[in-house]
Amino acid sequence: MTDRRPSLHATDKLAFLLSLVPWLIDHERVSVAEAAAHFGVGVADIRRAVELIAVSGIPGDTAQYQHADLFDIAWDDFEQNDVIVLTNLVAIDDTPRFSAREAAALIAGLQYLSSLPENADRGAVASLMSKLSRGASGEPSQVAVAQDETSEVLALVREAVERGVQLEFDYAGVRGLVERRRVDPLRVESLDADWYLRGWDHLREALRTFRLDRIASPALTDVRITHRASDLSLPDGFFEGSPDDLDVVVEIDAAAAPLLDDYRPVDVEDAGDGRARLTLRVGHVGTVARLVSGLPGRARVVAPDEARQAVADWAAGAAARYDD
Amino acid sequence: MAAVRAPRIPVEERLFSLVLALLATDAGLTKTEILSTVQGYRQKYVSGGDNAALERQFERDKDDIRELGVPLETVDDPSAAGDNHLLRYRILRGDYELPLDISFSPEETALLTLAGMVWREGTLSAESRRALLKLRSLGGTASVPELDYAPRVRSRDAAFEPLRTALDRGVVVRFDYLKPGEDAPRRREVAPFALVQHMGRWMVSVVEPDTSSRKNFLLSRIVGPVTVTSRSFPRPADATADSALEGLDRLWEQNTATVRAVPGSDARTRLGKRRGTVVGDDDVLVVHYSDRQVLAEELTAFGPEVVVLAPAELRALVADRLRDLASDHAATSTSASASGIGGDAS
Repeated sequence: MTDRRPSLHATDKLAFLLSLVPWLIDHERVSVAEAAAHFGVGVADIRRAVELIAVSGIPGDTAQYQHADLFDIAWDDFEQNDVIVLTNLVAIDDTPRFSAREAAALIAGLQYLSSLPENADRGAVASLMSKLSRGASGEPSQVAVAQDETSEVLALVREAVERGVQLEFDYAGVRGLVERRRVDPLRVESLDADWYLRGWDHLREALRTFRLDRIASPALTDVRITHRASDLSLPDGFFEGSPDDLDVVVEIDAAAAPLLDDYRPVDVEDAGDGRARLTLRVGHVGTVARLVSGLPGRARVVAPDEARQAVADWAAGAAARYDD
Repeated sequence: MAAVRAPRIPVEERLFSLVLALLATDAGLTKTEILSTVQGYRQKYVSGGDNAALERQFERDKDDIRELGVPLETVDDPSAAGDNHLLRYRILRGDYELPLDISFSPEETALLTLAGMVWREGTLSAESRRALLKLRSLGGTASVPELDYAPRVRSRDAAFEPLRTALDRGVVVRFDYLKPGEDAPRRREVAPFALVQHMGRWMVSVVEPDTSSRKNFLLSRIVGPVTVTSRSFPRPADATADSALEGLDRLWEQNTATVRAVPGSDARTRLGKRRGTVVGDDDVLVVHYSDRQVLAEELTAFGPEVVVLAPAELRALVADRLRDLASDHAATSTSASASGIGGDAS
């Protein structure tokens, strides 16, 4: 299996070459920069690919790769003006089909997105899926993501963005206090079945992330937004650090440790007996109990003592509600 | 021994040259013709000598090219069927090229681009990237959406990739599965027919080859590696990802639990928005689920904000988990583990 790694990389390069040639044919004269922007790659990648294409071809009648059997480019244009012009073509005319697995990846992605309000027209999504199936070289593999109903909140978020107005809603913070928040919506993110709104929170005067299913009584305001996504750099990842963050040491079955990657464990060490010890950064001691109680692998907070005690109290209090 | 050292040809140049050569031939090329004439092979080819290593290289290259969806086919010589040396290889243009009537509008391109970005990990992410390259190849540009979206689906379970491989090959797999509620894992030997994500959890839908019964397994409960066997088991025509999801939806419809949530609490808001939830008086909610053990984990995480009223088994599961959590975090257990004794409960 290990010797497949480098060739996997080469197959990606091959896919790029097979995609680039038909596009260059359609664009008789195009700059390297334009091609790089269109394919979302670096200009150096385009130059390397064009140099390779220019010397490639078929063995031909003589089996000697004669000049006429090779692609060719206008070299002066390429070298002096950074412009690509194909002057001789070989074998390839059109874009290749999707592989069965490539089509399956996009189809499953579409299924996941079909709950977005933009895609309310299920017929359009279905026709797109069938186009992908038809454009694949084999039957797409059976991978599917259930279309979940996203909340009506998402439609309101979209409307707020279109109108450029602030959105307000009730939101319970980690301390359990429900407050009316006013937000400039910036981006909708999701992780599997969980959807989040990131926005500028006018109450906190900071960027905040809100779980869509915790948002209650949302409404459009007539106050203009003051922040746009393009004005701010949104950090990647859901958990913005804050000076009040708390480092918590959690012990968990080693097999379950990778499931905590999203919490960006600061430190992972072997605790023996098939257990691992991780240091997680959490915003508030009150969230620790909820976090560890939902984890597999019998997670246990070992430090600081205040966090351990908080979990003990929380769990004991919850368990007491079951005492008959 | 070759007298002249062959120049190093990059792998992608060899693969690209092979695709070009096979696209340009109608009748097909024999293996010997390919190895002796195509760029990247011919430099290493020894006329009349031992080319075993080069032949193995060609076999791997064929697999890699087919991975990309390129229909590299073999044609038997009609006069000598089954003779491997006379097999011919070619790529038929009509099977290779995207049909001409397939094109994508700027809105469709934008949506497909977003669909490709959904995958964060594994081969699905690499395959999406390649599919998007082909989409770009068609020349279409994407419309810019009004709202910035960053949708993501994880497929990080270690079992995901081997199961997907087995799915594509139509073969049986073996794995140990820790069924929710049981203490020890059990070995399963099943034929996967679909990988589906339902309510945020990945499951593999399988046929048991011996009984022909269909089941779903949570990927997160597969313990240890998945072994992909060579025993083939063709997928029954009606065993599809859609049918698997429909089955899970039916389970979701059928199974209900009754809970009481603290008014205004997070549990109240989130369970209230869960698919199918019916809200009664006194903040009593009837919630739907597909797996009782999974629901127990979810409800435990709401702690004091929710109390399970029915069914009794679910109530007991949640109460036990909370009691374990309380005893695991009682002051004594911390001092034990801090002193390195590691009194591990399991």
